[in-house]
Amino acid sequence: MTQHWWHVAIAWGLAALGFGIMAWLAARRHAAAKRRLALLGPRERRLG
Amino acid sequence: MSTPAPSSPRPLASTAPRGGGLHRFANPGRFLRLTDRLLPWLWGLAAVVLGAGTAWALLFSPPDWQQGETVRIMYVHVPMAWLAMGGYAGLAVASLMSLVWRHPLADIAARELSPAGAMVTALCLATGSLWGRPMWGTWWAWDARMTSVLVLFFLWVGHAALVRAFDEEERGARAGAILALIGAVNLPVIKWSVDWFNTLHQTASVTRIGAPGMHTGMLYPLLVCTIGFTLLFAALVLAQVRAAVMERRLRQGQLAQARRQEGAA
Amino acid sequence: MKLSRKRRRLWIVVLAGLGLGTATALTLTAFQDNLVFFLAPSEIAGKNPGPERAFRLGGLVEAGSLVKDTTADGRPEARFRVTDGPATVPVTYVGVLPDLFREGQGVVTLGKLGPDGQFRASEVLARHDETYMPPEVAAALKRTGHWDPKNGAPPPAASWNTMEPAPARQGS
Repeated sequence: MTQHWWHVAIAWGLAALGFGIMAWLAARRHAAAKRRLALLGPRERRLG
Repeated sequence: MSTPAPSSPRPLASTAPRGGGLHRFANPGRFLRLTDRLLPWLWGLAAVVLGAGTAWALLFSPPDWQQGETVRIMYVHVPMAWLAMGGYAGLAVASLMSLVWRHPLADIAARELSPAGAMVTALCLATGSLWGRPMWGTWWAWDARMTSVLVLFFLWVGHAALVRAFDEEERGARAGAILALIGAVNLPVIKWSVDWFNTLHQTASVTRIGAPGMHTGMLYPLLVCTIGFTLLFAALVLAQVRAAVMERRLRQGQLAQARRQEGAA
Repeated sequence: MKLSRKRRRLWIVVLAGLGLGTATALTLTAFQDNLVFFLAPSEIAGKNPGPERAFRLGGLVEAGSLVKDTTADGRPEARFRVTDGPATVPVTYVGVLPDLFREGQGVVTLGKLGPDGQFRASEVLARHDETYMPPEVAAALKRTGHWDPKNGAPPPAASWNTMEPAPARQGS
C-alpha cells in the first residue's frame, strides 16, 4: 500500500472508530434507560 | 455521563410550557413518543446512506488529477467540517432557547450535543492533517482557517466540560449556554477566514458563487457521504437526548415511588 | 411599557450579541495585517522585512522557472521564481518538495530574503487551488488547449465539472 492509501485508510479508520464508539455508547445508554424505565410502574413513568 | 445529579433536576412534564408554536415540542412526553418510532429508522437510514457513500467515495469515484488517491480523505474531512459548524449553529440555537425561553429540552439537547460536536471537530482536524502532510508538505500551519477551527474544537470541549462541572444542572446549563453563544462569533470567522485573510487553506469549492469547482464524479459522492454522516450524527445525538430525558423521568419516578412508600409506612 | 421577562432576556441576548459581534469585527479588522499567513512578492518592498528576519513568501510558481538540481552532498535542490503578477522573487530551496508542487501552483515558502534578492527557503508548502477534477478531464482540457496548468487557474468550472471525456487511449 502506498503512503497515500495509508493516509486515506487512517482518515477513514479514525472516522469509523470515532462514530462507532459514540454510536455504540449512545445506543447502549438509550437501551439501558428504556429498560429501567419499563421496570418502573406505569404510574411513576407518567410523573417524570 | 449517566451519573444522576445529586440535586433534584427541574421537573419536566409539570413545567412543560403551555401554548402553541415552538412549545408544542417542549413536552418531553410528546418528544419521547414522537422520536420512539423515528430513531430506529434514523439508524437504519444512516447505515444505508453512509454505506453507499463510503463505497462510492473509496471504490467508485475517480482520483484527482494532482492529489491522486489522497483526495479520498476529502470525503470525510469536508462532512466533518460542515457537521462541526452546523452542529455548533444548532448548539447556539439550543442555547438561545435555553436562556430566553428556559426550554427544558434545549438544555438537554445542548448538553448531549457537545461531546459529539467535539468528536466531529477533532476528526475534521485529524483528517485535514493527514491530507496536509502529503499535499501541502506539513501536518499543521497556524493560518486563520486552521486556527479558528482549533478554537471551535476548544469551544466544544469547553462547553461539554462546563455544563457537567456544576452540581446544580440548571446553573451548568446556563453557563454553557452563555459560552456557546459567545463562541458563535467564531462561526463566520471560520467560514470566511479563507476569503478575508490569505491562508494556506484553499477557498471554498462547493459553496461558492457560480459552479462548484469540483467535478460531479467527486461532488455527488461527497454529497452522499455528507448526508450519511449527518444522519448518523443526528441518530447518535437523538439517542443520547432520549436517554437523558428517560434518565430524568427515572430519577423522578424513583423519587415519587420512595415518597409514596414513606407515606404508606 | 413593561417587558415580559422572556422579552427582556431576549433583548439582553440580542444586545450582548451585537456588542460582541462588533467587538470581534473591529478586532479582526485591526489585526488583519498580523493575521496574514504570507506576504506576496509585491508586498515585500513595502514591508521590507530585512535580511535577518524570516518570513513567509507566497504566490504562484512562475511557468518555466523551475530548475531541479542536486547539491554537492546529494540532497535535492530546487530553484524557482514566485510571482503574484506585478513582482517576482527568485527562491532556492534544499529539500523534498510536497506532492502538489508544480509550476503554476500556489506556494508558501518560509525563509529569509538575502541582500542579493534571493529568497532562501527552509520550508516549502504547496497550496491547493480549490478545483477537484479527475485525471481524464484535466488531460482532455490540456489536449484541446483549453488549459495549461503552468499558466494558472483552470477555465470556469461550469465548462468542465460535468465533462465526460472518453478515456485517453494508450499511445495515441
